[in-house]
Amino acid sequence: MKPIVEVTGLSKRYGSFVALDNVGFSIRRGEILGLIGPNGAGKTTLFECLAGVQPADGGSVAFAGAAQRKDILFYLPDGIAPWPDQPVEWALQFMLDFFGGRRELYDEVSGSLEIEPLRRKRMRELSLGQRKRALLALALLTPQPVLLIDEPLEGLDLRQSREVARTLRRHAALGRTLFLSIHQIVDAGRFCDRFVLLSGGRVCGEGTAEELAAAAASRPGAAPPADFEEVFLALT
Amino acid sequence: MPSRRRPWFTLVRKEWRELLASRAWWVLMLVIGPLVGVAFIGAVRIYAEASAAGGTAAGVGEAFSPLDGIWAPTFAAYEIAATFLLPFVAIRLAGGDRQSGALKLEHQHPLPPLLRIAAKVLVLLAGWCIAGIPALLAIVLWKLYGGSLYGPEVASVALGHLLNAGLTIALAAAIASIAENPSTAAILALAFTVGTWILGFIASLRGGFWQQIAGLTPEAMLDSFQDGLVQLDAVLVTVVFGMSALVMAAVWIRLGVSRRRRGLESALVVAAAAALVAGAARLRPSWDLSENRRNSFPEADQRALAGIRTPLRIEVHLAPEDPRRSDLEHQTLSKLRRAMPAIDVRYVSATSTGLFEQAGSGYGEIRYDLGGRKAVNRLTTQEGVLETIYDLAGIPVPQEADPAFAGHPLAAQPAGAAAVFFGFWPASAGALGFFVLRRKS
Repeated sequence: MKPIVEVTGLSKRYGSFVALDNVGFSIRRGEILGLIGPNGAGKTTLFECLAGVQPADGGSVAFAGAAQRKDILFYLPDGIAPWPDQPVEWALQFMLDFFGGRRELYDEVSGSLEIEPLRRKRMRELSLGQRKRALLALALLTPQPVLLIDEPLEGLDLRQSREVARTLRRHAALGRTLFLSIHQIVDAGRFCDRFVLLSGGRVCGEGTAEELAAAAASRPGAAPPADFEEVFLALT
Repeated sequence: MPSRRRPWFTLVRKEWRELLASRAWWVLMLVIGPLVGVAFIGAVRIYAEASAAGGTAAGVGEAFSPLDGIWAPTFAAYEIAATFLLPFVAIRLAGGDRQSGALKLEHQHPLPPLLRIAAKVLVLLAGWCIAGIPALLAIVLWKLYGGSLYGPEVASVALGHLLNAGLTIALAAAIASIAENPSTAAILALAFTVGTWILGFIASLRGGFWQQIAGLTPEAMLDSFQDGLVQLDAVLVTVVFGMSALVMAAVWIRLGVSRRRRGLESALVVAAAAALVAGAARLRPSWDLSENRRNSFPEADQRALAGIRTPLRIEVHLAPEDPRRSDLEHQTLSKLRRAMPAIDVRYVSATSTGLFEQAGSGYGEIRYDLGGRKAVNRLTTQEGVLETIYDLAGIPVPQEADPAFAGHPLAAQPAGAAAVFFGFWPASAGALGFFVLRRKS
């Protein structure tokens, strides 16, 4: 199947520091692709370059059907607190009106992410976990077919993490393509279809858990990895 | 292709909500009433005292012009607000999205950046117009006291302050887009204001080139509007500056574009603005909207001077700080520039005060050259200058004089103004702000 997004040779430097070095991978339609890497691996930089929030120094990003980036991708950054003085309900309505979002999903998204009790709270009044749920709701209501979400599980407790994972899975099943940056490898291994391993700004592996495990095992002198964490450690 | 209108109107509504949620704007609303009140009440009292005394040394007619006595000082409150309050309201609205991260979300809509900035500026101008209500209250009170109101001159002052506010908003938006965070933007905005004051100070000392540059500052632009003079060049230069600042804001609000490219685009904007300002500054049309025609010679002189087609060159040998130069400029030469189609005035001086030049034989001279016919004298009065020009042109001095401006003396006390500006306005603005800021829907 032809990928919906094809990234080739993407690079980015901050002065002499190389944040991304010849990064290449593809995103397939309808999959949940996990971007895994340690802190400082370049995950956020990669997302921001893909979303056009930061300029890349080199490389290309091609979209299926020669579509425009803004028609295909929506990027949800981590650690933002947009429109702090406005209530959550207004923020959701604004995203629907401004981006021409998916109104038919409003009730489902609002229910599954437990937005109802937050509706009248201002964005600045939300706790970290509440804000993450509100931001995920904003992203899921946008019309773009590919969502880039930086740390979707950050700030959530175990129960909320599982509910969010279920929600994201459900949206992927409905045809949404998700590219998620996750630094918790166990979480990522649980619900992503494929993975891109990033370390030091380089792609160290791309594929399903089985493909990556096979790659890790095929390294000279390596024992078969016991779990996904060992796969990651072996390849990065 | 999807319509851009609906998202843009959505953005305008969002900016309006953000303005209403801004404490900075409510502070402006709260403060503007008392500011206008202090200025208006003080002006009405002085006007009343002068009226009761039968005039001042400036002459009865000029002394009792409400333009000078009431509207210039009352509207000066808006100059203070535009300098010290409005930039922060604008920076909060223009830079808040970047600080909160909302810009990263909104940026992903294909709406052009200039339209995004336009939505912010439109809302800020609407907010400024609402802040103009105390000025309207002052006008109503003045009429209730029995004061005279000459619409065109009040409109001139109001237009000047609206242009000044527009320019302030555009500059603040540009600074907020360029700066990384709002506090840096606030410091830069204040630095700009202080910079224009320093420029004015240097211009008063040095004259010449500095005077020309200082003539482009918002303060200089406002001065002519407060005299009831609407000059096309001042309006266009302000509009060009404002639009350039908006384009600059649009250049810098974009994400995903390298600093180098944005820097190059900014240089192009500056170059285009400089070319447009140079062109606009050459335009001569102007309109004297003052009731007493203070910016014009008498009608007969205006007609006679307009009929002199030969280019006139005047060389004034007076230092910038010499009071005669200031009198000559404001009482005569500024009017002459409006009246004559081809005139070139040059100031010549070696020092700023003229103290040590006065021993020189040429100091104080005013040299005229009208198509090769020359005259030299030291007359700085309006009559002296005009007679010299008529003499060179070989035309008789017009004898008809305009009817004297009678003025509008009014010895009325500002009854009720304190209650309106210090009681009703702050209470209303405060209550409304409290209600709106607490609203959660």
